[in-house]
Formats: sequence, structure tokens, C-alpha cells
Amino acid sequence: MTNSINEIENAEVILVSGSNTTEAHPQVARRMLDAVDRGARLIVIDPRRTRLAECSHLHLALRPGTDIPLLNAMMRVLLDEGLADELFIEMRTENFLALRDMLNRLDLEETAALTGVPLPLISQAAQLYGRARKAVICYCLGVTQHVCGTENVQTIANLAMLAGHIEKEDTGVDPLRGQNNVQGACDMGALPNMLPSYQAVANQDYRDKFERAWGASLPEAPGKTLVEMTHGGKQGPIRGMYIMGENPMLSDPTLSKVEETLRGLDFLAVSDIFLTETAQLAQVVFPAACFAEKSGSFTNSERRVQMVRQAVAPPGECRTDSEIIMELSSRLGYAMEYDSSAEVMEEIALLSPIYGGMHHDRLDQSWGLQWPCWDRSHPGTPFLHKYYFTRGRGHFMPASHTPPGELPDAEYPLLLMTGRIYHHYHTGTMTRKSERLNRECNHAVLQINPEDAKAHGLRQGESVQLASRRGQITLAASITDQVEPGMVYTTFHFHEAPINRLTNDAFDTGSGCPEYKVCAVRVEKMSS
Amino acid sequence: MPHASSMADSHLLKKDHLKGFLRKLAKEYRLVAPVRNRHGDVLFTVIDDLDAVEIELSEPPQNSLKQFFLPQQEQLSTYTITPEGYDFQPTKATIPPTVYFGVHPCDLSAVLYMDVVFSRQQRDPFYLRRRQGSVLIGINCNNPSPKCFCNATGSGPFIEMGSDLQLTDLGDRFLVETGRTSGHTLTERWQGFFSPSTDKDRAARYQAFLEARGRFSRQVHVEQAIRRLEADTVPDEVFAKLSLRCQDCGGCAYLCPTCTCFTISDQPLDAVNGQRLRSWDACTFAGFTVMAGGHNPVQAKTGAIRQRFTHKLRDDVRLTGRPSCVGCGRCVGICFGGTDIVRFVERTCQGSL
Amino acid sequence: MPQTITDIYLPRQAKVEQIEVENSQISTFVLAFCDHAYNDAFRYQPGQFMMVSMPHCGEAPISISSTPTRPGAIHLSVRRAGKLTAAMHGLRVGDTIGLRGPYGRPFPMEQLQKKDLLFVAGGIGLAPLRGVLDTCLDQRDQFGTLTVLYGSRTPSDIAFQTDLDMWREKGVDCRLTVDAAEPGWDAQVGLVTSLMDGLHPKLERSTALICGPPLMFRAVLGRLTAMGFRDEQVLTTMERHMKCGVGICRHCHMDGKLACVDGPVFSLAELRKLKIMEMED
Repeated sequence: MTNSINEIENAEVILVSGSNTTEAHPQVARRMLDAVDRGARLIVIDPRRTRLAECSHLHLALRPGTDIPLLNAMMRVLLDEGLADELFIEMRTENFLALRDMLNRLDLEETAALTGVPLPLISQAAQLYGRARKAVICYCLGVTQHVCGTENVQTIANLAMLAGHIEKEDTGVDPLRGQNNVQGACDMGALPNMLPSYQAVANQDYRDKFERAWGASLPEAPGKTLVEMTHGGKQGPIRGMYIMGENPMLSDPTLSKVEETLRGLDFLAVSDIFLTETAQLAQVVFPAACFAEKSGSFTNSERRVQMVRQAVAPPGECRTDSEIIMELSSRLGYAMEYDSSAEVMEEIALLSPIYGGMHHDRLDQSWGLQWPCWDRSHPGTPFLHKYYFTRGRGHFMPASHTPPGELPDAEYPLLLMTGRIYHHYHTGTMTRKSERLNRECNHAVLQINPEDAKAHGLRQGESVQLASRRGQITLAASITDQVEPGMVYTTFHFHEAPINRLTNDAFDTGSGCPEYKVCAVRVEKMSS
Repeated sequence: MPHASSMADSHLLKKDHLKGFLRKLAKEYRLVAPVRNRHGDVLFTVIDDLDAVEIELSEPPQNSLKQFFLPQQEQLSTYTITPEGYDFQPTKATIPPTVYFGVHPCDLSAVLYMDVVFSRQQRDPFYLRRRQGSVLIGINCNNPSPKCFCNATGSGPFIEMGSDLQLTDLGDRFLVETGRTSGHTLTERWQGFFSPSTDKDRAARYQAFLEARGRFSRQVHVEQAIRRLEADTVPDEVFAKLSLRCQDCGGCAYLCPTCTCFTISDQPLDAVNGQRLRSWDACTFAGFTVMAGGHNPVQAKTGAIRQRFTHKLRDDVRLTGRPSCVGCGRCVGICFGGTDIVRFVERTCQGSL
Repeated sequence: MPQTITDIYLPRQAKVEQIEVENSQISTFVLAFCDHAYNDAFRYQPGQFMMVSMPHCGEAPISISSTPTRPGAIHLSVRRAGKLTAAMHGLRVGDTIGLRGPYGRPFPMEQLQKKDLLFVAGGIGLAPLRGVLDTCLDQRDQFGTLTVLYGSRTPSDIAFQTDLDMWREKGVDCRLTVDAAEPGWDAQVGLVTSLMDGLHPKLERSTALICGPPLMFRAVLGRLTAMGFRDEQVLTTMERHMKCGVGICRHCHMDGKLACVDGPVFSLAELRKLKIMEMED
């Protein structure tokens, strides 16, 4: 997020794209609704009529996978209405002409038709966004989990820069991160091409710095992306894996390929707090301590590094992740000796410039610090890109429509979207252990429009078979006009209905992110 | 020391001697009082060492007394499954007699309400065992917090009944009123701590009350909402809109000092042993009313939200003559979506009657 | 001094004495408390329910389907619906379960005296009415004519066949219908309301007792009202999720009433005042 979460409350216009915020990020949704109460306008871009869409002023129900044409149309409206921030474009950006030429070549009517959103609605949204003094864009996996995920994000950045909606308080572009520490994991180099603090692996100087600090030599080539690893195949190049706190056997696309790959490994070790579907395939399982059983820090969506403190001791033989890693490393011949997480944090401050001023004593005395925090006297950064972008000037990256990897056809006539629900988290390894959460929801449901339900002769709650070219599952029909005719929606939380047996293995070449949001399926009534 | 025999007896306790008095009480009772923890939060806390904590009376605690009388989770019984049968053994929990010190009028009102809930239809042994051994020492609110609206629910800022001893802060001293026989016993037992109060002290108490009454920053028209609920003139749209924003966290019910809905469930300990637990529940959850087989007689969120507010502001008024919302404002602070009772009252009162 | 308060939440052991399989989904369990003295002294009234405990399954409310005129045993007729009832269907004679109760407001048997009674039920809904009917039969001279209208999904789903035969023998007018016929079924097909076509009750001395799924319930109410039944002449028993059974936990809320203590038996006149799903259009 370029902003802090609290800043959303003060925005005049909030544009939410591909985020079911009330269910996936309730604390962020709270700020959005508070802003609405203060008079802010809420625009929701989502194929489904989510609860947030119900609360919005404008709901742009686009066809899945048409984010780029929609945003391009909005930008064209900004240009036509003279709402482009010329001063900002002049002072802070580059490559504007390429964007402008592309936009001017657009046939607005045609583009709007492609998205399924009426042009007047697009125009209204663009003008609301363009005219606001303070406007934020919040987006989530509905934007990124497409073959064109990277271009989708770049197009959002184009829109924000075109309107000059960046560099200010309460104004910016805010990707909502999904887990308590996914931001921290990225910050610490859990990316194939980055060392901690987004220092590129390809850069010799950065590698030298880490090699000196660690007394070891580092590979020059970037690593592999998630799907490259878990779809490597039976005799893939990777022969051994150590998977921590992740359950690809339920969460990755085209599960048959994941299973083939993991079973084909010479060796698999998994550390997790419960015996997940993935851990069941491992030769060695490390029982890990959970968040309440260890001390250290998490980095959240707004780049805030916060302390967590051990509340209870880990049960049985469970150990913290850091203990497991250090022990494993020692056995592999490289001694990692840290006495405390504070000592680890000191090394982070030493090697990761954006964490340069973060130490446990400082974090302990406050509600945490937001990076970049360059040194001990730096107060942290509530919002990014004031005065300059990290790379210097903001570079406009014009993009055109890229159709999804698979679209409905005669054989598989429905478009399947996947996502989450409020009561369960990811693959349910934790939440499905809670009786109370299971009481609220204990089975997968397929949202289907009344029209499609009628065509298939389905009753509310009836079991149906859902099939794609890759597999099939059984789940209960939930008939609702939250989804448009021709679309169905379900979640990936339930091992009884592993939706990723169905999802496509197309992925975004930019980020390696799988296209979870679109694939073609058909619904079949179960024979009674 | 002279003392009147009337119940509404009043004394003075110098603030300097408060700790001494509490130390005496702590010898015979478990002591629970609002304490500021190291994160800055004020919470009712069991105090083991009086000298290790700072009792905080100026700010309402984040928790209420509910957790002490109706714990978040408690064992009702244990069971064993043997070839001879499936047998339940009663829980033998001993609850120490406890002094609850520094209880604000809202939370005192809440305890009085819980007394009704847990003894009206059937006498609940678990609640009443905890309640019977308790002494309540209240403190009137001279400075209602910005979230408070107990003036609108008839449960503050000062309270005349409910506690065993009722304190009013008069600067360097407390005016101590003995509400009940048990309170009387306390002031007599440790009479050295107390001195007689004068008319001037009672006038100062009245003055403090008038000032406190003028310090409420929000006007919440609870009475009007009650009338509209009773007359069934609250538009369905009010419930529909509020329920759309409910984030289903249950925070309102868990923090509410008068939300006493609970569930009962079995927790297996091994194949043949288990315990039966009672734990807090919330009527806003769909699972609260769902029946075996999946049918739910309360359809959609709207029905659950309607139940929440109707119960507090209509059904309990019918039952006890007053709402079971005590105006503490805790739900307002915790609510994710803006589905709290103040918003309900505000929306209900919008527009003409 | 703390006084001793009865532990209202503590179940007592009861033994399964007999199991009557009513159909593939419904069985009637004949139970007696293991404590003989308690069992002998145990009293209840038709329409009341018990809280049933099964190992590791918690508790569920089950209405009593027997008559207090035949003391010594409690009948619970149970349809397989959730985890607990499924576990009950695994019980064998001699097994023990946990019971506490009886709870709830019963049918007003005194008000029903001298009345012609019309019982309308669907599926498991006959269970709570069975106790009333057997009470009437055991005190035959105190009640007027007895008519049973009973709907099932298919002929093989018809439960309480033994009872129906026995009731017929004793002069009860039992009429059955099924939603879908099977070979060999030559009686009525259709909703239970279709059985009401040929009825001509003496309205001034009639009371109807209904129990069944919400859809059936609403259809029957409509017909009864059309036939001229006043709301006070229609009684029903409501099904809700319950945890305590004694009016504290509030899971069974019904717009200000609680099914466990204000019901489960209600008159239609009482229900009309409530905003509940069963009364919606």
C-alpha cells in the first residue's frame, strides 16, 4: 500500500477493484465504510455484487478479465474531460505520450462493450475519481490473479498517475495483502528475483553485500516462481523441497500437477502447525509453533512492522520457524546462530535499507514502524512516493486487452471465479478446526445465478457437479443474483471440494501468479 | 463511631486510605478492579498484589464484569463413556468470594440485569454461585467518556442501587453510600477507615451529579427507539441497511455487559472422556439459530440484526421495565461495520414519527 | 451462606429399552431413567420435550412422543437430521443416553376436553401429536371425535404405521396422503391439505393441532382459516435450535418469545403476533 490503512478513512473517492474487502480485509472495509459515512463516494469494480458493491455508489460489474479495457476507458474519459493532472505528469512521470496515443486510438463504445459495463457508468466513475482531491485505489487478487495480472496493476498505476492521485496523504494505490506477514515475506526476499529489501539478485553489488555478511556465495540467477516449482512434473529439475506454512496441495492451480510434482520429488519436508494435505506427502514434517507461541515481528499490508510476543509456550515438540531453520541450516553445514529474534532484526536493519532504522526496542515502544525507515532517527513512512518514485519518474506502461487463458465455450459454458468467504481462511488448515466457524459455514457452495439454476433445474442447496477440462468436484448450489448469468463463483477453503482441481494452469508471465479468477466450467445436476 | 441504621447511610473515605481499605478486603476476598496494563488498556483484573498495580477509576474499563459471572468458557460437567453407561459428573468448581471494586454504574446495571436473566425462568447454578459470593463496590461517573450514553438508558452516570458500597469522587475523598446490608457490614467491620459525612458532602455529591449529567457529548434517543420498536414503526430498511454492514465478528455481543447468550458444546478429551462446556455466543451469527439439517428459521442477516436490537430495546423493556442496553458504548468502539446500537437508534429516529 | 442450587444442566442416565423403526429415517426410542425411583416419579405432559445427550455430540431438544397416561417410559421419535440424531440411530437396546427435562409449555389438555380434535401432520411432525392422541385415547370419554391427517413423501416414508393401525382400530379417523405414489398405493396423492377437502368439522367444538415443515404448515393454516377455524382453535408446536432448554441461552428466540419456555406449543392467535418465518407470506 502506498497509503496507511487509516488514511482510507479520509479519502473523498475510493475505487475498489477486485477486492471482496468486507470478507477478506474487514479492517480495511471498516475504514472504507467510515469514509462513506463521512460523505466519500465508493466505486466498486467487481463482476459479483458483493456486500461492498451493495454499499457502493457505483458498481461496475465488469466481465471477468476485462480490467484493462475498463481502466483504459476510464483514462480516456479523464483525457477527454481535461481531468489529467498535467503538472504531475510533467514533473513526475515519463512515457506519457505512448499512453495518450494508445488511449486516443481507443473506440470508447467498443471498449465499454467489451467490459459489459455501460459507458455512462464508466464515465461517471472516471469523473468521480478524476475530480476528487483525495482518491485511493484499493485492489486485491481479483486484479492480480489473471494472465495479465502485471498489466492490470500497471494499468491501475497509469490511472493513478494520470489523475495525479499519488504522492499525497489520503491518496494513492493500495494493494491489499492477504496474510499477516506476506508483505514481510516479500520484503525479506521471499521472491525469486530479489534479496531482502527488493535488492535484485541480478545486481553484483547487492550480492557482494550479502555474501560478505553471510560468508557464503550466492547464486547469480533468479530462482523459480511458485507454479514453476509446484508444476515441475514427476521428473522435474527440483528434486527436494522444504515447504513452510503453505498448503499447495489445496491452494495451487491444477492440483493434479501439484500432486504429481510433489510425489515425484526425492525428498519433501514440510513445516506447519497442522498436518495439512501437503504435509501428508512429506517424508519429514516439522511441527511448527503458531503466532501466539513465538516472538518477533510481522509486516502488514501498510508496510507496518509490528512486534508479536509469545503468549503461550509451543505444545509438545513444536519449535518456532526460526529454530527449525537454524537447526536445519546447522545440520546442512552452515551455522546460523542467532540468540533471539532481536538479533535477527539487527541483521535485517544492517542489510535491508528500508528496514534500516527498525530495531525491537523501537518497535516495542510503539504501534510499529512503516517502511521505508532508513535509520534510527527516521520516524517511518505513512505514505509512499512523496516527491519522487523509487525508480525516479513514474513510467506509464500502456497495455491492451489480454483475454483470459480459457473462456467459456459450448462444452464448458460457464465462467468460474474463485475467492474467499469471511468465515474461513485459505485452505482451512486453521479455521476449519474451529467449531464456531464451521457452524457458520462447513461446506463449499457454488454461487449461481437464478437463471442458470433454472436452466439446470437446480434447487437451493442441492448438490451439483462442477467440471472443467481438468477435473470435477461436488458442492452445494447457492442460488443468488450476486453473480451474473453465465458466471459461477466458489471458494478454495474446502478439501472436500478442492476447487483447484478445476482451475486453469495459465499464469501471468510477469509475476508467475496463476489465473485463479477465470476458467471455463460446466454444472451438472446430480442424478438423484 | 455513630452510624444510622438506615440503608442509605453515607460515610467519607479519604483517598489516602483507599489502598489500606482494599488491602483489608483483599485478605478475605479475591479482589477485582480496573487496572491499566502495560499496553495502556484499562481492564477489570484479578489483583494478586495491590502494590504492583495502579487502579484506574477515571476511564471505563474495556471489559465488563460479565466474564467474571459468565466466563467466556466454563465447564458445566464432565462425562465418561463406559460399557456400563454414559455418565455425567457435576463440575466441582469452587468460586472464591470476590470484591469487585470500581464498578461504573453501567456495569452495575448490567449485573442487575444478569441477575434477572439467570434466575427468572430457572435458577442458573453456575452464575448464581459466582454471584452469591460477590461484593460490588461501585463508583459514580463524574466524567462520562465520549462514547458513553448511560444517561439515555437510565443506567448512569450516577446510580442509586445495585452495589453494596457506592463511591462518589469528591476530590480528596470519596463519599461512600451503603446500598445493602452487606455494604453496611463492610463499613462497620472496618469503621476506622470511614468518617461521618455531612450535608455539605452530600451537596457536593449532588453537584458532581449535575456536572456529570452535563458532560455527555452525545445525545442518543433510546426512549424514542424503544417507542418505535414497541409500536412496530421501525422501517425494515433500517434493519436491512445495518445488516448489510455487519461484519459478523460477534464483537458487540462479546463486549456487551448484558449479552448473555451462550452455547453448550461437548469437547472430547479422549475416546471415552469429555467435558461439556458453555461458551459465549452471539445472536448475530447465522449458526446461532441454524437447526440440525441446515434449516434456519431466522433468514438472512436482517433477521439476526433485528433480533439483537429488538431484544435489547423492546423485549427486555417488556421484561424488566428498562432496556438491557446500559449505554456503555463498548459496542460502538468495537464494531467493524457501523452496525452498533447507537447507529440503530439514530437511524430509527431519523424522519418523522 | 451460599445455598445449594440444583444443577439444571446435568443430564441423567437413561436406558434404551426398545427401538421401533418407523421408516428409514425415523425411529422411536423407548427410554427409562436408570435411577428407578426417579423414573417412577418422573412426570411430563404431551407437547413437552427432553434435552438429549449423546456421547461427544452435545445436546438436542427432542419432543416426547408418548403419553403421560402410560408412565414408566418416555418415547422419543427421532428423525436423522444432524450429528446427534445420526448417533441416536446407532443406539442399541441396553445403551444409555443422557436426558434432562421435561421442558416447555405443553398442549393445554384441559382446554381440549370435550373437543373434536383434528390432527394434521407431515413426516416427523406426527411425533409430538402422538402423545396427545394417545392421551385422548386413554381418556376416551373426555374428548370428542379424533381425526388424523398425515402426509408423507412416499408410501415407504410413512412412519408410525403401527400407531396408525392401532388408532384406526380404536375408532380414530386416520387419513393418509403421499407426495409421490409408489406401485400398490391406491390412496390419496397430494399435499396434506388435499385430505381436508372431505372434512366437515363442527367448528364450534373443534380444535386443530398441526405439526410439520414450514411449507406444509402455512398451507394448512390457510385451509383451516378458510374452513372457518378461529386462530384460537389452532394449536401447533414449533421447532427451533436450543441449547439450554430452560429460557436462558436464547437460541430459540421467536420475536420476543422463546420456543423453549413460552412454547414449543403455541396457538395460532399467539403466533400471529410474532414476526417469525412461519408466519411470513
